[in-house]
Amino acid sequence: MTLFHFFNCAILTFGPHAVYYSATPLSEYDTLGTSVKAAVVYLATALVKLVCLATFLQVSETEVFDPYQEALKAMIGFIDVAGLYYALAQLTHRNISQNHKFQAVGLGWAFADSVLHRLAPLWVGARGLEFTWDYVLQGLEANANLVFTISLAALGSLMWLRKNKPKSLIPIIYTCAVIIATMPSITSYLKRVMGWHFPKIVGFELVTSLVMAFISCQLFILCQRPSL
Amino acid sequence: MADEKKSKQRHRVMVLESMYPVVALMLILVACVELCDAATVVDVYRLIQYDISGVPFGSRFSSLNHHAASLSFQRGADLSRSVLILPLRELDIGFVQDYISQKQSLGGLLILLPQTFRPGNVGGGSQSSENDGFRNLLAQLEKLLVHGNIPFPVYFAFENEDTDAMLADVKKNDALGQQATATTGGYKLVISVSEPRKIASPTITNIQGWLPGSRADGDSNQLPTIAVVASYDTFGAAPALSVGSDSNGSGVVSLLEVARLFSILYSNPKTRGRYNLLFALTSGGPYNYEGTQKWLKSLDQRMRESIDYAICLNSIGSWDNELLIHVSKPPDNAYIKQIFEGFSNVAEDLGFQVALKHKKINISNSRVAWEHEQFSRLRVTAATLSELSTPPELLENTGSLSDTRQLVNEDAIIKGVKLVAESLAKHIYGHQGKDIKIFADDSSLAVNPFYVRSWLDLLSQTPRVAPFLSKNDPLIMALKKELEDYTAEVSVQHESLDGSFTFYDSTKASLNIYQVASVTFDLLLLLVLGSYLIVLFSFLVITTRGLDDLISLFRRPPSRKVKMA
Repeated sequence: MTLFHFFNCAILTFGPHAVYYSATPLSEYDTLGTSVKAAVVYLATALVKLVCLATFLQVSETEVFDPYQEALKAMIGFIDVAGLYYALAQLTHRNISQNHKFQAVGLGWAFADSVLHRLAPLWVGARGLEFTWDYVLQGLEANANLVFTISLAALGSLMWLRKNKPKSLIPIIYTCAVIIATMPSITSYLKRVMGWHFPKIVGFELVTSLVMAFISCQLFILCQRPSL
Repeated sequence: MADEKKSKQRHRVMVLESMYPVVALMLILVACVELCDAATVVDVYRLIQYDISGVPFGSRFSSLNHHAASLSFQRGADLSRSVLILPLRELDIGFVQDYISQKQSLGGLLILLPQTFRPGNVGGGSQSSENDGFRNLLAQLEKLLVHGNIPFPVYFAFENEDTDAMLADVKKNDALGQQATATTGGYKLVISVSEPRKIASPTITNIQGWLPGSRADGDSNQLPTIAVVASYDTFGAAPALSVGSDSNGSGVVSLLEVARLFSILYSNPKTRGRYNLLFALTSGGPYNYEGTQKWLKSLDQRMRESIDYAICLNSIGSWDNELLIHVSKPPDNAYIKQIFEGFSNVAEDLGFQVALKHKKINISNSRVAWEHEQFSRLRVTAATLSELSTPPELLENTGSLSDTRQLVNEDAIIKGVKLVAESLAKHIYGHQGKDIKIFADDSSLAVNPFYVRSWLDLLSQTPRVAPFLSKNDPLIMALKKELEDYTAEVSVQHESLDGSFTFYDSTKASLNIYQVASVTFDLLLLLVLGSYLIVLFSFLVITTRGLDDLISLFRRPPSRKVKMA
């Protein structure tokens, strides 16, 4: 029954993306092309990140939290943000409203991220006889990642695509964006320094993603009011 | 139109054809990722499988793929698809006996032995009473398993943390009545090996070393010979664990040490005796000393007739005060009397006793209990020096699982070596009755305890079941080299173990222990995920498109009908 387990974990990891696409108006406006373009941009970004990591990072033998290495990793993580900016702002999309644009880009980005990071371990690991909770937790993490990416895309679209924003909200937008962008560093800090185990980290990620989604949703609505 | 259709079809066919290699590659990739990444892998050793004249004995199967069960299972539960895990500490011989005699079906048997029985484990000889109890239990179990015909795989493993944890878990589950099957999860034990095959023409290898004596000038007669013989191979319940420290590692070590001492004496022409010395390490001991018989028959007739007497060494490693000399000629025979007197005088000097035991040979019975009987059948005077008082049964006292290094006492071996060496020396140099100690301690001819210890340690870590030893096995080469160092001529004789014994391979394997989830768990997870996705879907539809849209998703067919009407 191990293929069964693989199937379960696969639908947990990739199901929400499909559900999101079909449930929201994205499917009605046929924004698949946008998502695919965003996925390709993610691929290119991942390649660039890989090259930078390989060039600048030293691989440490032990699981010691080295602040300099982590700072370097965070800076390289901002390449992600640059890629997202390119996908949101520079690529020409068909005439779709801003509302749907960031969702489509975020969805495509998160889907590519899940496939790249989680499909191979799932295929190789979840089909074995041995049962572990790892792959279920990985699926939950993929869900949290989806929410994070869409929130980041929302904040990104607010930052770069919307010209008239209330002045008071700008610092909040930027702070939230920074927090989401540095999530990987935060989780690695929790794992190494605080010694949290995987389930705890995944729980933390889920909670934070919901909080961030709520905040960015509110910000988006607040910013939308003047243009109404 | 037709042309267009045809070209489209051709195009489609071409696309399909070009997909075939891709599909094939994907299928190969899928099939190749064969996983065996268990959380725990344990070395296990299989019960021996052999036939005597076609009658099968031992465990007849080797591969295993079943759930684990422990002794706390409910009475009457069906264990035919489970592997029963029996730690030696909680073994009930009666239970195993019932299971085997009533031929109840069992998926497999895994016996967990305490770490003290591990061949490399030297320490821990102090908790003797507990270990003695285990040894007796293990000996009983072995006898039962070796002489029974068992239709399921039986494996031995050593206890470690992983197996202890697994066993505790399995016991807990069994006590709750949840026996591990495909639907209730638990542990799955997998040993994937091929079916055992017969070992075609197993060889037994005899190694002999010849140390010639000094011939006086003008003496044309053949010098008399004294032979010292020990069989070096073992037989036990688990061939990969049959190290036989006492039976007969002690004999081999003693023979090597005696050879070393006499090689020192014989290297100087002034101290070379008027007797030739013949040292033989024979194989095929457990199988009615077949190797000894073949070796004797291969000897030149004149050499055989020149043998004055032969001393066979068998299990002289764990005795305290008394050694026994077993003979087949009647005790009042002159030669026997002479040999026995010589030995008992030396023994008295060394502070222990030897006793003489006589056992008549029954020519019609093919069972050869002692090695000297093979000599006696060819009219050569011989005796066996042993600590065993009764003749061992077939395949008994031949290096069982409980015969480990801790059972052997180095001092006992050293005393035995002194006994044999001094007695031989007294006979060779004619010092009977005189109080002369040639191999005294602190002399250059003293028995070397380090030599004894190092060879004993080596033999206690080397399983030596003859059919599994190849012709050029490192152990055989090492013994040959050792004898070459101490004797003038060494010859190695390879014979095939014919007769009634047939052996099967596959003695060692790796056990993979998987912790599996039950099918019900997977179904439950599917249910939970399905409902999660449905809830997510409805939530997203409601928040982005409104509740009306969600309801309209379910009401679409009627509205279409209305439209068409």
